[in-house]
Parts: sequence; structure tokens; C-alpha cells
Amino acid sequence: MSTRLSGRAAAPGAAIGPAFVLAPPLVLTGLPEMASGSRKEEQARLLGALGRAETELRELAQTVTASAGEEEGEIFEAHAEFAADPELIRLAEQAVAGGASAERAVVDAFETFRELLVASASEYLAARAADLDDVRDRVVKILIGLSTSGDKPDRRSVIVAHELTPSQTASIPVDLIAGIATETGSPTSHAAILARALGVPAVVACAGLLSAIHVGVDVAIDGRAGQAIVDPDPSEREAIARRHEKEERRRDALGALRDEPGRTADGHRVELAANIGSIDHIPAAIEAGGEGSGLVRTEFLFLGRADAPTVEEQTKVYAEILRGFPDHRVVFRTLDAGADKPLPFVEREPEENPALGLRGIRLSLRRPDLFRDQLRALVRARVEVADEDAGRLAIMFPLVATAAELEAARDTLRFVAAEEGIDPGEIEVGVMIEVPSGALGAARLAHSADFFSIGTNDLIQYLFAVDRLNGAVADIGDVLEPDVLALIGRVVEAGHANDAWVGVCGEAAGDPTVAGALVGLGVDELSMTKVAIPEVKDALRRLTRQACREAVEEAIAKAEDAAESRRILEGRLGTSLASQSP
Amino acid sequence: MPEARVTLRNATGLHARPAKIFSRAAAEFAADVSVEKDGRRVNAKSVLSLLTLDCHQGDEILISVEGDDAASTLAELVALVEAGLGESEGKEREEPA
Repeated sequence: MSTRLSGRAAAPGAAIGPAFVLAPPLVLTGLPEMASGSRKEEQARLLGALGRAETELRELAQTVTASAGEEEGEIFEAHAEFAADPELIRLAEQAVAGGASAERAVVDAFETFRELLVASASEYLAARAADLDDVRDRVVKILIGLSTSGDKPDRRSVIVAHELTPSQTASIPVDLIAGIATETGSPTSHAAILARALGVPAVVACAGLLSAIHVGVDVAIDGRAGQAIVDPDPSEREAIARRHEKEERRRDALGALRDEPGRTADGHRVELAANIGSIDHIPAAIEAGGEGSGLVRTEFLFLGRADAPTVEEQTKVYAEILRGFPDHRVVFRTLDAGADKPLPFVEREPEENPALGLRGIRLSLRRPDLFRDQLRALVRARVEVADEDAGRLAIMFPLVATAAELEAARDTLRFVAAEEGIDPGEIEVGVMIEVPSGALGAARLAHSADFFSIGTNDLIQYLFAVDRLNGAVADIGDVLEPDVLALIGRVVEAGHANDAWVGVCGEAAGDPTVAGALVGLGVDELSMTKVAIPEVKDALRRLTRQACREAVEEAIAKAEDAAESRRILEGRLGTSLASQSP
Repeated sequence: MPEARVTLRNATGLHARPAKIFSRAAAEFAADVSVEKDGRRVNAKSVLSLLTLDCHQGDEILISVEGDDAASTLAELVALVEAGLGESEGKEREEPA
């Protein structure tokens, strides 16, 4: 009889195959405590095992870089560094010099660092403990003569485990993995990230999975619904097989949309652009089907250096970015630095409330030398690519709170354009709407703006008085709060009444449900993290503008909070992850 | 013993790749290199030890060098930190707008 188990979706896709249960994690009890041979021999064993672990991990890094990508490969480069760490080796050598076995020395040395990492307040460091354990187990296996290549199935299987380590995931050839199901684990673990990069469906945190498995049984998984079925019956098999076909078609369909423009089912145009923070992000943004960039964060040119970048240097980079997006609009946000991102070449007083301090356009207006250099570089970049098949320059000012700030910023641009012999009227100039006064005063700002781009993250931070980096309050405030949606609707109206287009460049734009609501409110452009573009493009092409409008109007009228608003929108738009049928 | 205080400017501080870059650079030199934060001093050639300091953007660290070519080693390592340790804005996840 089949057993259905609910877990958490970790990587989309559906698969069915024989269960291959990975051996449980290494048990560290019963290891020899004292060296059996001489201390010198024991030290040679120790260094030999650490050295072999490092070599294996560097090889694994290369394999993974080739199969999954550079970022995934770096996980194992970091593991190799751990195995070669001089302080770790020193600690272990000391223990061996005192008579301990190499096994005991390795386990204790890793434990010393593990405790220090787990003790820190940083979630990032605490999460590295799992990486340390992975390396430790490899070294211990080498010492006690166990295989480190990991056991692997002899045919394509669903890999079942208590929890997968990154090296287990990577050591099984990808063509032998039909899918992955684990008893514990989280969708943000390195193993889940690897599964997504490899395109392997995965379900994690399936309580009861291991006890339901027996030898020779088949397992079916649905990585989008987060479900595993042990010993599926014929109708369940058929359902998963259909699901798999649909997923394959969906993958192909999303890929096929790459060069298609963003639009609704009834042909209403919605530009879908990518947020970028470096030239390096451009190829992936294009690959994802990004139509230009609705937010180029220019800070990357300024941070981490002793002197401000020169006009020439900036011009070169801006021109390169324009060339990266032929025929599309590229919105450059001028320097958005504050006291929380200090720049050595900007002297400033310490601020008690950097989020409310001298930042964004306020800083630019206070430092006209820096501001003029940046605007000059943007104008020159436009001139430089004028005869090429390049993107169109648009300039956006961040953190505008008053119409006077916008006027002052435009004056500076007019001044610079005149010096460069350019008609400033040829350049699109916009305002980032991220301060409540800017949202409330949108009608006033619209007189002097060619466009608005709503920065939902900061707007919510300022509307709800919530520090978005403070986990204790981070769940307060959401773009789908009915009053936030209504406010966005008013910003759109104010923009359109003055012939300004309106975009949204916050994280929220990459959520298909939110995207549908924003289109319903009349938003013309959505700029998001590149990975979200294909799903949003696909979702909008299934919805009419009228359906979006009715859904968001109902959410604003009837919902009491963001959760209810999401239920209404997903119910009307069919945009929840589980209901996305290909 | 030459030493210098320097503020971490890059986005992730002495974590992840920047920690690896710094420890590798320190390991290139013959001299002993240590990094101190909040009174804890560790071997800068050990990436694990650097991680345990949990240094973030904006934190000040004290770099000390002892041994051959200490002064020039210190200068190179300080320059590396000031240049952002191979990282500018770049966080792994794209920063929200």
C-alpha cells in the first residue's frame, strides 16, 4: 500500500524510481582513542588523511563546477580550505603529539572550531557547522579505511537519506539521480541549492520517510508540491508521470519565452527587467529573458575603495552596461550610499539612525562634486554608445522625499548636460518612490519626472517603521497589505496622469502573485532579480489585464491583511506555486 | 612589530570568499600574520580562525605582522582589505532594492 508523506518543496520537478537509501551519517563513537603505533607514524597518518581529503575536495570542486556551476563548486573549494587549515592542523598535531589517535585528534580539532562557529550570533557561521562536519567525516573515513566516494546506486534512483550533505549530493553522478527525498533538512541547505542547480527534483523534511522505506520499493516525488509517495499505486504512478511530463514541458516552455516580450494574455505590454549590481550580472539577466534593467545599483563602483571613481572610469563601466542590453531601457540609480555603507572619500559624522540620515539623493546633493561626476559619466556613456546597438539611458534618483530635492537634482543634470553639449530633455529622468512622503506626494513629483520606480523594500520599511534587517520585526509589513496596494495604485494614477510610466523594482516584483496585483494596479514595468523573470513572464501571459485589475480591487476592498489579500489574489489569479500547472 | 588598524568596507566582511582571499594572501608571506578583533587575536593564515572572529562590514580589525619583510607584508595586506577583498557590492544573493 502506498504511503503519502508531506515535506517541503526544495527543487521543482517530479520523478519516480527505486529508492536508494544512503548510509546514515558516520557514527563517531568507537573510534580509537590512543595511537596504536609511534607518535611519528600517527602524525604521518594524520597529515596523510588531511592531505588526501584536501585533494579529493579540490577534485570534487572541479567536477561540481563543471556540472552545476562555479558558485556550487566553490562550496567544495571552501571545504578543501578547511581540510588544509593551518590552525586546525596545528591543534590536531598537538593532540597526536600527546599520544591521541589521529581519529580522536581530527574529531576534537574540528569540534573546537565547530563550537566557536555555533556560538557566534551569526546564522551564516552557524550554518557552516554542517560544512565542517562534512569535511570531518571525510577525513575520519579516510583514516578508518571507509570509502569516501560515497555509495551510489547502480541505476537511476530516487536518493533517500536522513539528510544529504553537499558532498553526498555531488558525489553521485547526476544521471543516476532521478530525485532526492530526505527525512530532515531545509530548502536553503547547500544540498537543496545543489539540487536546484543540477535540475534534480527534491523534497526535504519528509517526516516518517525512512521508516516507510523498505528494500526494493519505488518512491515518487513531486518537488513542486513537496510530496513523497512510498510504493505508489498505479494511479499515483500515472499522476507523477503526468506531472513529470508537464514539468518537462514547463521547463521547455519557460525557456522558449526567453526572447518573448513581457505582456498579459490580452496583449497589454509589461516590461520585465532585471535588477543588476555588477557588469557580471548582465549575461545571466539576458539568459533569463530580462528586458533591460529597471535598476542598476551603481554603488558597486564606489564601495570598497579609497578614492571616488573617476569620470573616465565610470563612463567606461556605464557604457559597457548600456551595450549589455541592446534595444532596451537601462535605469541607472545614482549613488545610494548612506552611513551604513560608508565611503572612505565621504567624510561624515556618525549617525544614530543611518536609515533616516544623510543618504541617497540627500548625500548626492550635499556632495555636488561626486554627483556631477556621476551624472557626467552617465551622459558621456550615452554619447559613447549613441551610434551602437545599445540600451537607452535612464537616470533615477533614490530616496527622494520632496519635490525640491527632485528639482535640485534635475538642475544639476541640466547643468552637466549643458556642459557636455547635450539636450537634457533627451534623457529619461525618474524618481525612486521609496519614502512615504514621496508616495503621498507622487502627484507633485510627477510634474518633473518621466517615470517612477517604486522600491517596495524600503517603502515598506519606512511605511511600517520596520528595520528589514532586524529578524525580530521582519514579519511586519508586506507589499500585499491592502493599504500598501491602494497606495501603490495612487502612485500609478499620479504618474499616468502626468504621462510618467511607473515601475516597481523591489524584491516583491519577482513574486508572480504580487506581479499580477501590480499589473492590475496599472504598473508598466517590473524589475526583479533575474531568476524570477521566467516564472513572472509565464504567469502574466496567462492573465488578462482585466482579471488582474478585478483581483487586486477585490483584495483592496475585502482583505483585512496581507495573508488574506494573497489568498484572494491566488484564488483569482491561480498564481500559487502548487497551482501553477504547466 | 608593525601593525595597522583597518576598517572592513566590503559587503560580507571577513566571511565566505573574502575570508578565503585574505587567509590565502596572508599564507603567501613568510612572516607571521595575525588579526585581532574585540581583543581576540587569531592566525590570519587560518580561514577557520578568521571565520570565528565573525567580522562584518564596518568592523575594525588590527592586523599585526612579525618576521621577514613585516612592513611590506603589512602594507600589502592593508591594501588588500582597503580594496574590498575581491568584493565590491557583490553579495551572493542579489540585494533587494
